Amino acid sequence: MMKQWKLKEIVLMSIFGVVFAVIYLLFYFFGQGLRNFLTPFGLAPFGYEVIFGIWFIVSIIAAYVIRKPGAAFWSELIAGTVQVLIGSPAGPRLIISAAIQGLGAEVVFAATRYRNFSLYVLVLAGMSAAVFSYAWGWFQSGLAALTPGLIAATFAVRVLSGALLAGLLGKYISDQLAQTGVLRGYALGKELQEKREKEAS
Amino acid sequence: MISSVNPAVKMVAIIIPGVLLSFSFDIFTPLTYLIFIVAFTFLFSSIPVKKWLLVFTPFVFLALGFAWMTTLYTSDSFSGGRVLFEFWWFEITTGGVMVGISLALRSLCFVALSLMFILTTDSTKFMLSLMQQFKLPPKLTYGILAGYRFLPTFKHEFEVLRQAHRIRGVGRAKGVKGRLRQFRRYAIPLMANAIRKAERVAIAMESKGFTGSHDRTHYHHMSVGKKDWVFFASIVGTFFLVVFTSYQLGYLNIFGRQF
Amino acid sequence: MKKRLPNQIPPVQKQPALIRTENLSFDYEKKQSEPLINDVSFSLEEGEVTLLTGASGSGKSTISLCLNGLYPEAVEGYAEGTVYFRGEDISRFEKGVLNQKIGIVFQDPESQFCMVTVENELAFTMENLKVPRKDMAERMDAVLEVTGLTEVKYRAIHELSGGQKQKVALASVLLMEPELLILDEPTANLDPVSSLEFIQLVAKLQQERKMAVLVIEHQLDDWMAYIHRVLALNKHGKLIADGPRDKVFAEYKETLTAEGIHLPKVMEENTQKLGGQTPQFLEPSLSISNLSFKRKERTILQDLSMTLHKGEFVAVAGENGAGKSTLLQLMAGILSPHKGTVTFQDAPLKKWREEELRKHMGFVFQNPEHQFITDTVYDELSFGMKLNGTPEEEMKEKVTELLGHFQLEGHRLNNPFSLSGGQKRRLSVATMLDETPDVLLFDEPTFGQDAKTTDELMSIVLDLKAKGTTIVFVTHDMDLIDQYCETVFVLDKGNLAFSGTPEQLWDKESLLKQARLRLPYRVRQQKEEGDVYDLVR
Repeated sequence: MMKQWKLKEIVLMSIFGVVFAVIYLLFYFFGQGLRNFLTPFGLAPFGYEVIFGIWFIVSIIAAYVIRKPGAAFWSELIAGTVQVLIGSPAGPRLIISAAIQGLGAEVVFAATRYRNFSLYVLVLAGMSAAVFSYAWGWFQSGLAALTPGLIAATFAVRVLSGALLAGLLGKYISDQLAQTGVLRGYALGKELQEKREKEAS
Repeated sequence: MISSVNPAVKMVAIIIPGVLLSFSFDIFTPLTYLIFIVAFTFLFSSIPVKKWLLVFTPFVFLALGFAWMTTLYTSDSFSGGRVLFEFWWFEITTGGVMVGISLALRSLCFVALSLMFILTTDSTKFMLSLMQQFKLPPKLTYGILAGYRFLPTFKHEFEVLRQAHRIRGVGRAKGVKGRLRQFRRYAIPLMANAIRKAERVAIAMESKGFTGSHDRTHYHHMSVGKKDWVFFASIVGTFFLVVFTSYQLGYLNIFGRQF
Repeated sequence: MKKRLPNQIPPVQKQPALIRTENLSFDYEKKQSEPLINDVSFSLEEGEVTLLTGASGSGKSTISLCLNGLYPEAVEGYAEGTVYFRGEDISRFEKGVLNQKIGIVFQDPESQFCMVTVENELAFTMENLKVPRKDMAERMDAVLEVTGLTEVKYRAIHELSGGQKQKVALASVLLMEPELLILDEPTANLDPVSSLEFIQLVAKLQQERKMAVLVIEHQLDDWMAYIHRVLALNKHGKLIADGPRDKVFAEYKETLTAEGIHLPKVMEENTQKLGGQTPQFLEPSLSISNLSFKRKERTILQDLSMTLHKGEFVAVAGENGAGKSTLLQLMAGILSPHKGTVTFQDAPLKKWREEELRKHMGFVFQNPEHQFITDTVYDELSFGMKLNGTPEEEMKEKVTELLGHFQLEGHRLNNPFSLSGGQKRRLSVATMLDETPDVLLFDEPTFGQDAKTTDELMSIVLDLKAKGTTIVFVTHDMDLIDQYCETVFVLDKGNLAFSGTPEQLWDKESLLKQARLRLPYRVRQQKEEGDVYDLVR
């Protein structure tokens, strides 16, 4: 399964997982605050939904940088597991949630046979992760207990958030990283290098 | 003792009730199970009560917040019962309150399960047992361990960056655009450094003869024995026992349907 | 006075060589006309200690990874030529086999381990070797004993000191019982005494086990007595010297100097103190009184008082963890003391407005990258001026001047992270100089830098000093202190153990020992000559 992966790619994916586990956890508390803020306006269920996309971002970054089958899935799963290990209030089910979100992003990349990593595909992957996570949340987080109007609205917001905060922001951060030259040994860095050489010639 | 249970088995034993609990919307089921888990934790581990409470207490407040929100926004299929009071455009019903409390208790159950795992498990042994019991590829196992090792260094590096920014005269960020730029200023150097480290560690590991092959000896031999199955049966078995009792007593509520 | 080194008689050579490279070329990218390592042929003999030296960026570290076969495969680089291990082409070895015959200790103590504790890290190596489980404990204890790490067996690696970390790296490599031990600047991040201890440990092991050793180093002095042979690479990745130690340094002296390679101090002319006598400083610039600092109830600094003057070059020395960097951060006002005050130009730091303070005081971090906050070198240099609202024209002029002065003209629009090590160092200093600061603080600025970069940095620093800037260096480099500094403060476990001139410090042997410092080379040499004289008399 990991045969075509280089060790440095795995370590990189794992470090991404660890970094974003910390960021994810910070956003969990940020979301909590956002929700408390929105409660008097009757918009509390949207507290988490608007920033939900951030929880898919590591899938997008890992897949876009490394471009190997499984990158989106494993990186998200690692981020989820590390969150549990450093103490997330969401508990062990987070590992399952992470696996499902990662799978959501992974299927989009798999559908392109890991050949297309354009913005459009990345955004689609973010949205797909959102759809998967909503389906899971239906059982998990008690979304089923909400009123139908709210369900439609929260679903729409989450998908949009996935598109922007995971797809778009993920690409932006990865591209910025590639500019620093540290990704020279990975697929994204190589692509950038080739582009530059073409422009130069 | 819980700390000597095989970590992979422990993880599975905890995930099963962790997932299935999500289907219950009554109070009896999560409450009973929560009491069981807490009792089990203290009976079969040496975790100091004070330490446990210190970690657990903040989550009680989180859970209360969670309960309150759910109470406000419960859909019709759950929000039956008497109207308790109204304010703004909210209508608080007994059904709503019940679901709210249920969700709060459920999330405390998750926390208690997590704590039982985290406070009794060595993360290295957890990964090793995933490799030895669940055949996780060694490349992935040690790759993840190598990445996990950097966790403590991030905090230090973040601190240095904060100081460096101050020296450069970067003030507190204002507005969304400023915040985003600031996020970037931290994220890029942190990640750039992490990427270089990833490369160096991978090379160091390979230069010590690591090939990723399953054919290797094990210093920590992780095994699954009788004790592990007893643990598994207690955690998972008790869960089903609680659900059954709840059903017998007529409390069980799955997705708003009373049984 | 003729300088002497112990004679090193090369061991009797067996055929074939342990390692032989033939026309080895390598680059991280595709084939280029001038690859990073360019057509290099040399051999390493059994039981021999070889030094590989060269300027920064000459591909020294890269070569070691070509020798054990990890490159080019690990980086999908381009490579030409052949490497032989005892006469056999290394590309014929099965994966992982050759790596166990060649052990490498890397430069960065932070990033060469994959496990949390010492015990598990050593176990990792043995598992790779498929050592039977029943033998592991014994072998582990033996290697811990040899490296003096028995007491830290169960500790987390990230809590150990730099010297201990490097010994863990050495221990895990020794478990492989390698035929060739490669040391890639293993002491670059260590304090002077730890560094010497590490070198002596390696020398002892080499003598006992008769393994071949390849040392990659900038700082040659402490290795000199143990080296048989020297290889040198130039900036273009070409081998420019290969031969017995004394012959290379005698015959290639000019070539090596021109390449910016550190020469061993034995070969250099007697280093003189700059300026001769210590000038008198009258005007105080920054003063500290009764300063204490705690971190989580642990006292880091205890009741320090000192005064720095205009145009003074000050060094802060001491063991790792003695509180040097903390003191520097307190001076810069990015930490606040628990007790006592820091006064900068008549006003306590607390009274300074942040923007004003930053204009008058600069701080250069150990890792230059931490200071970079924009996308291009140009933006980096103009950042401070933009904050201060400097007019566009003036700003452009100033940036152009800085680019010129720091030899960064060609990199105006490059990303700061993509620069070379030396360029990053220069840029990090340049970002502090949009206005000439009154005090400039440096945290270990010469770590792991080659001779040329260090020289460049020192000339910039001396320039500023002449303009009246107070310079403060936190450093382990005793030779640098001896050569440039007027005042030294020595910290020992949070206390100010010494303040005075370097000359005064060199006389206090017990203090130096206690603070894990060493005499600079010049003074050691003088003492040795004195000893000889005593014997003769």
